[in-house]
Amino acid sequence: MVTEAPLIWNNLRGIVCIFKPAEYSVKRLRSALIHKLCQDMNKLEVRPPIDYVAIEGNPSNKLSVSIKPNLADHPLVVGPRYQEQDFVISWSNFLGWNTSGVLLFGLKSGTKQAKYIRENKSARAYRVKGILGQATDNCYRTGKVIEKSTWKHVKRGHMEKFLSAMQASHQKKMFELCGVDMQSETAYELAVKGLLRPANSKIPVIYGIKCVEFQPPNFTLEIHCINEYETYLMHLVHEIGTKLHSTAHCTALQCIRHGGFTLQHALLMKHWDLANILDNIAICDQILRDTNSNIPQQNATLV
Amino acid sequence: MNRINPIQQFHKHIHHLNKQFLRGVKRKYPINPKKADELPVFQYSPSKDTYKRVFTWGNAQTGALGLKGLIDKEVLSLRYPKRMYVGERFEVLSAAAGFGFSIFAIYSETNVKLYGTGLNTDCQIGYHEVRNGHPLEVIFYPQPIHLPFRDPEHSKVLKVVAGRAHTLVLTEEGVFTMGNNSYGQCGRKIIENEDYLRSNFVNHIPDIDGSKICDIEAGQDHSLFLTEDGSVYSCGWGADGQTGLGHYNNTEELAKVRGDIENEKIVKLASRSDFVMAINEKGDAFGWGNTEYGQITLPNNDQQLSNPTHIAMLNPIGKIKSVASGGSFCLALNEKGEVYVWGYGLLGLGPVQLTKKPLKIPETLLGTNDFQPTCKVKDITCGLYHAAAVTNFGDLFTWGRNKDCCLGLGNEKDQHFPLKVSLGGHVTNVYCGIDHTIALCDPFI
Repeated sequence: MVTEAPLIWNNLRGIVCIFKPAEYSVKRLRSALIHKLCQDMNKLEVRPPIDYVAIEGNPSNKLSVSIKPNLADHPLVVGPRYQEQDFVISWSNFLGWNTSGVLLFGLKSGTKQAKYIRENKSARAYRVKGILGQATDNCYRTGKVIEKSTWKHVKRGHMEKFLSAMQASHQKKMFELCGVDMQSETAYELAVKGLLRPANSKIPVIYGIKCVEFQPPNFTLEIHCINEYETYLMHLVHEIGTKLHSTAHCTALQCIRHGGFTLQHALLMKHWDLANILDNIAICDQILRDTNSNIPQQNATLV
Repeated sequence: MNRINPIQQFHKHIHHLNKQFLRGVKRKYPINPKKADELPVFQYSPSKDTYKRVFTWGNAQTGALGLKGLIDKEVLSLRYPKRMYVGERFEVLSAAAGFGFSIFAIYSETNVKLYGTGLNTDCQIGYHEVRNGHPLEVIFYPQPIHLPFRDPEHSKVLKVVAGRAHTLVLTEEGVFTMGNNSYGQCGRKIIENEDYLRSNFVNHIPDIDGSKICDIEAGQDHSLFLTEDGSVYSCGWGADGQTGLGHYNNTEELAKVRGDIENEKIVKLASRSDFVMAINEKGDAFGWGNTEYGQITLPNNDQQLSNPTHIAMLNPIGKIKSVASGGSFCLALNEKGEVYVWGYGLLGLGPVQLTKKPLKIPETLLGTNDFQPTCKVKDITCGLYHAAAVTNFGDLFTWGRNKDCCLGLGNEKDQHFPLKVSLGGHVTNVYCGIDHTIALCDPFI
């Protein structure tokens, strides 16, 4: 294991894949990561204070040149060698307060890659849990119950039938949002290829939505989407409840995949240390090179 | 010196952050969980098994959409599917889209088993008058059609089809025909200068030579009947050979169609205009009528065919499950759920083209992709200039010329490849008219 901090500092760049717990903001996670990195870096062999050259004496007489320890560069004067403001970190996908799961951070020069990943709009997959029978004002379990209804009549078949119709309607939307004139030959050629990415980064598009677990009143949906945000997914569950002649609210959200990154790559908070983070950067780099998501994509097909 | 353990410091930092961030949602009035227990429990239920949602879209001027409000608002065409009241009030069994009119078959125990709306220039949707001797030529709101049933309590309407200006109704008591008979398409004697608007003549065909009629189809001005033993009978306009009787004259009496289908057991007929397609139980396709757009390529460049002919070029695509024949193009659906098109026009393969060989529409355009790999086309149908396909997931795809927004895609532009129509239901049947479309849907729950 290398113990020299500057060497490690040079390697601390790229994309790192983190597991974000629920009820923890991305901003706070970022500052916790920076804090942890700083601490670990400062525990290593940091650069010693640079001595300074002192030229002393009377200029009209002989001057003495000597090298003296530089107190102005001493950690006790200037603070620890690695400080929180030295770390440049940005996120490539934003997860809301209640969402847990895969989160990508770009470290130092990796912020550029994080930007490309964001702009390439790779698809994300979520596991969303919901419960039938109660509707809340914020469509999440923390909200105030505003309506209660029966749910015994909702069967798995109903749910699947509705979800498949919803999925097909969203897939139709993706043709309209891919930024090509529908009358053109290009539109036809793109449509034949299959799934397309939207040109706009604001309108959510769902590619796949299916019910992976149905134990009424609880159910779990797996949603593949682009441009989504937390409240959108919560309201989706609310809407599904209404369309199934019942009510529903969301109980948990987890991002299980972002482009080529899955939960198994995500680093838990308890495993945050320099060795693991450096390993994770190497793994992420390999995934990025395999999926070509670290370079800007011009193609409209979904990656 | 008492040095703080870095891990302790880290946890302290986290703890500090907890204080800062872990406050949850700020509410002006905190939630009282007891209030939730006091709320009433609403009881909703699934829909009836027989309930069908009926959607219509397209040209609103003819009244074929049956939506009264559109006329008051002077809407010329409806770009999006809109739900119709007929489905909410009655149990709709089937429907038919003619040239500017619609007919709905409902379940009832009275003589009124049909509701019709739209153009009524030839009494094709029954006789409706405001006062004696002044029948309505256009109806904007579905009106009951009385049919002379012998036993209305036990008879059921099995199928309705509509042509340019005539209607055929297949019931358990045989076939009733209404409307224009100037070419003999109603299967009765042609009367010179008959005033169809006022005649209100319903012709009853109980059976053909003693065998029961099991399926019907109406082309533009001709009618086709399929009996239980698989033979096809036809009547009406035959100028292009669409009656398939070996001549080009109009026929007023039902006559048996011979040619290649004479000894075949036909199971399905399709004709929207002047070309007819039929499939037998083995899945072979036959065709006759006007072939000027290459529906069947004839050796001496003939454009009319009055003898049913086996379409040999469809053999490589396998067993054919369903066919559809529009104004200038044909569609065929094979067992695997693949859709083939040929002819002229917007075939669903990009801009306008003419092809005499069947071309496959890529599955990706009809809903098959990584997220729904099992999606297959279940049924196909077409109007004069547009086509529609229904998948096993209950999705409806339309493409072709968007005459008066009959595609229902929310715009007035022609659609060059199949695109899904946004509908609030699981589509089971689609009926395409010339400039409007009707969809029958199951509710999601």
